[in-house]
Amino acid sequence: MDTTIVAAKSVIAVDIGSTITRSLFFDVVSGKYRFIAVGSAPTTAGAPHFDVTDGIWRSLEELQYITGRALLSEKDGVIIPGTPDNQGVDIMVATMSVGNPISVVTAGLLDTVSLQNARNLAHTTYANIIDEISLNDHRTSSDRINLLTRKRPDLIIITGGTNNGASHSLLSILESIGLSSYLLNESQRPHILFTGNEQLQEEVKSGLSKISKLRVAANIQPVLGKENIQPAQKEINEIYKEVRNKQSGGLREVFSWTEGTFTSTAAAFGRVIRFLSEKYEPEKGVLGVDIGSDSTILAAAFNGEETLRVFPNLGVGSGSSGVIEKNSLELIKRWMPIELSDQEIRDYIYNKSVNPCSLPLDVEQLEIELAVAKQAIRYAAETTIPNLPKQLGAGGTLLPFMEPIIGSGRILTLAPKRYQPLSILLDGLQPTGVTTLALDQNGLLPGLGAVSEANPLLTVQVIESSTFLNLGTIIAPLGVARPGTTILRVRVNREDGRSFTRDIKYGSLSILPVELGEKVSLHLRPLNRFDVGMGGPGKSGKVNAVGGVLGIVIDARGRPLQFSLDPEKNRKRNETWRKTLSKYE
Amino acid sequence: MISKVKHIHAFTSIKRERVLPIAGHVLVRRMQKVSPSDVIVVAPLISKFVLMDIAQGLNVNPSRADELLQRQAGEDLVEGDVIAGPVGMFKRVVRAPQEGIVRIAGEGKVLFEISSPDYELQAGMEGTITNIIPERGAIIETKGALIQGIWGNGKTTYGVVQPTSNDLLKELVVEQLNIGFRGAIITAGFCKSPEVLEAAGIVPVKGLILGSMPANLIPLAKKMDYPIMIIDGFRETPMNKAAEKILIENKDKNIALNAQELDTFQGNFPEGIISQSSTSEPDLPSEAETLKVGKKVIIINGQQAPQIGEIEKIISGKQVLPSGIETRLAEVTLANEKSAILPLTNLEIIND
Repeated sequence: MDTTIVAAKSVIAVDIGSTITRSLFFDVVSGKYRFIAVGSAPTTAGAPHFDVTDGIWRSLEELQYITGRALLSEKDGVIIPGTPDNQGVDIMVATMSVGNPISVVTAGLLDTVSLQNARNLAHTTYANIIDEISLNDHRTSSDRINLLTRKRPDLIIITGGTNNGASHSLLSILESIGLSSYLLNESQRPHILFTGNEQLQEEVKSGLSKISKLRVAANIQPVLGKENIQPAQKEINEIYKEVRNKQSGGLREVFSWTEGTFTSTAAAFGRVIRFLSEKYEPEKGVLGVDIGSDSTILAAAFNGEETLRVFPNLGVGSGSSGVIEKNSLELIKRWMPIELSDQEIRDYIYNKSVNPCSLPLDVEQLEIELAVAKQAIRYAAETTIPNLPKQLGAGGTLLPFMEPIIGSGRILTLAPKRYQPLSILLDGLQPTGVTTLALDQNGLLPGLGAVSEANPLLTVQVIESSTFLNLGTIIAPLGVARPGTTILRVRVNREDGRSFTRDIKYGSLSILPVELGEKVSLHLRPLNRFDVGMGGPGKSGKVNAVGGVLGIVIDARGRPLQFSLDPEKNRKRNETWRKTLSKYE
Repeated sequence: MISKVKHIHAFTSIKRERVLPIAGHVLVRRMQKVSPSDVIVVAPLISKFVLMDIAQGLNVNPSRADELLQRQAGEDLVEGDVIAGPVGMFKRVVRAPQEGIVRIAGEGKVLFEISSPDYELQAGMEGTITNIIPERGAIIETKGALIQGIWGNGKTTYGVVQPTSNDLLKELVVEQLNIGFRGAIITAGFCKSPEVLEAAGIVPVKGLILGSMPANLIPLAKKMDYPIMIIDGFRETPMNKAAEKILIENKDKNIALNAQELDTFQGNFPEGIISQSSTSEPDLPSEAETLKVGKKVIIINGQQAPQIGEIEKIISGKQVLPSGIETRLAEVTLANEKSAILPLTNLEIIND
């Protein structure tokens, strides 16, 4: 049987998450690829199992039970390829996010240029930067050697020098890295990724390849001011897999089942967002956010140009204590519509971080988790926006116009009310202009990303099969006015010829009652030089929209959202917003 | 549904790996009995290196400096030994800055490793060496009581366990911390005041085991010089009954307290081990088991945590919690004969 992925009919995409391993099953139904079912089981990458295959096996057993299709054989493991009597699967791909972040030391010429490139690269995977080396850190060669032999990072990223640019200064840093690598036992030597001045590549290879696990990628900054991150991003993904392979058993089997179509969840997530950006409106970007138990991923892409950021220890489970530590309790509390003491909130968050699988029992606990999710996304967005190729607002602090915005993660999909994921995404990301908020309700994005390179047809057809839940069309005018000032007039023209008009006041959050799936034409007339993305401040225009679960949401609360110094005022305002959104549930 | 087992055992087999991250010299042998302070393996864990520019030191070019080198890689030197030279009118030389070893020499430079005292990895618990991990360490096995927690401040110790009251239900207050607890590993239900942690350091106690404490004390607890282990969670509730019973019954016995930081991926939990001699051979505790009727469980979230009960019934199908979330539930009979309906996700099996 032909087992090339394009010819394949059935595909399983396994995602090995920090707490749950999920196996997604895709097959051809009526001539088109469709998502069929998902099986899940606790992840077994870490203690006490240290073998990912146990969790994969159990998730496949569940999938087998749901679909009635034999996928496993005691003798051969996963049945690949599928048989004519509908047993097994033709292709398997896998993604992985579980495990402690890989430890990284960045090295480059200057803190503001080379090291910034190295940081951007490190943040495209599950990594913690544990130290940095640069010419302006005033360390001697001996200091650098001692630093590297003591900290023993998993990976050293070396950047610096444009092509044909500086080389001598970089060589002195390379000498320290080479000597420190030589001094370590072979099993402890770090991976080294050189992505600096391409003129030095041969010298780097001859000096470092025998004493380190060296990879060389095209210069991340070939000319000043131009970042070329994608070649190095591919290499860092390979290094991530090699580090994980050393830490968790069973990955060799996964490599074998997937024939190497195995990648980090973040890389796959970024890839599918990039893929969508090539498919949707080219003048706007596509944004994806995945909020997991341990980490948050933000991926934005403009016409195929991708910006990916991974935030380990920033999540709603084991990463929830990281949300307090990277922010503050006050920044989490400002999102809550109910009154709880600081101690109740803090204790709940820290208990959640040590018991990430526990579920909120009551509304109070749930509201804490929703607030943690909002702040985790807010932190990720504020950190990522300056690195996007486009920004809005004074100082470039606002999210540019995006279409669509897709949210993923169990906190969004398991939320009991549909306004809750919309509220998390709306408050956390604070989109601008006109956009659609969608929910990856089955957690397909990483799997679709893993498949997309080899079988784009599957990705396209599954996405077109209404796999994402439309939470609502969002209209978020940009500008400043006094609260209560009318800033937008919206006329909604329904397909049956009926229409209605609404005046929108600054500071309000309101919903236009449009049924789920109903197509309408919106005429937007911004007042007071507000901008709704129709070509500039004060410019009117028509836009076609589709009603989401919450119809059409007009968020005129301003960008960025402003908070009062009085926590009680913030709480009351959150309560009002919650009531507004929940009314249309 | 499979649940993690919370390790609180009055008597069980315990097997721990004690290894260094780098190669060293193992000092123990198989079947050797060890006490917590016995050294298992030694290694120069924190070496210090000096990259010496010989060419610059001798004021010659690198190839000439290589000709003037008197030492080769691997040579042991004492402070003041000549590494290179003499050269020139003033017989210029480069000397070893301290006692150490030449690691690399050439191209006008010498990489010199300064001798540093070996790091000694102690057994940390009583037991028997059952396996040697070459150059890294050993496996130690023992029998006794095991209590694992959910948070530790990264420190370890060994000493006598002393409850601060007849039960471990109450808050630990400054007034209780008298001189009688000096050098002891004290235990209490919970503590909510920073003054208590500071006062315990002044006594000084050797360690502190609490059922719970509020999370705002974490930064201070990390700074304390003595080990602190939290067994149940971040709140102000008494210690769970199983751990309380073990600690009360083992009053005045030695406990090896390893308040290491929690790392569930690596399987590192803060824990206390009280070794006991016995002819019986209990099995190693299981790490995960299926939640089913009759299983003893500990509640890990909500107002009823950390009460212990028994699963009376697993309710079929998913049910809606007051939070609105749909999940599988169990009916659990608690010690006071009352019952509670709780999500399976909020229970852990306990085989005390």
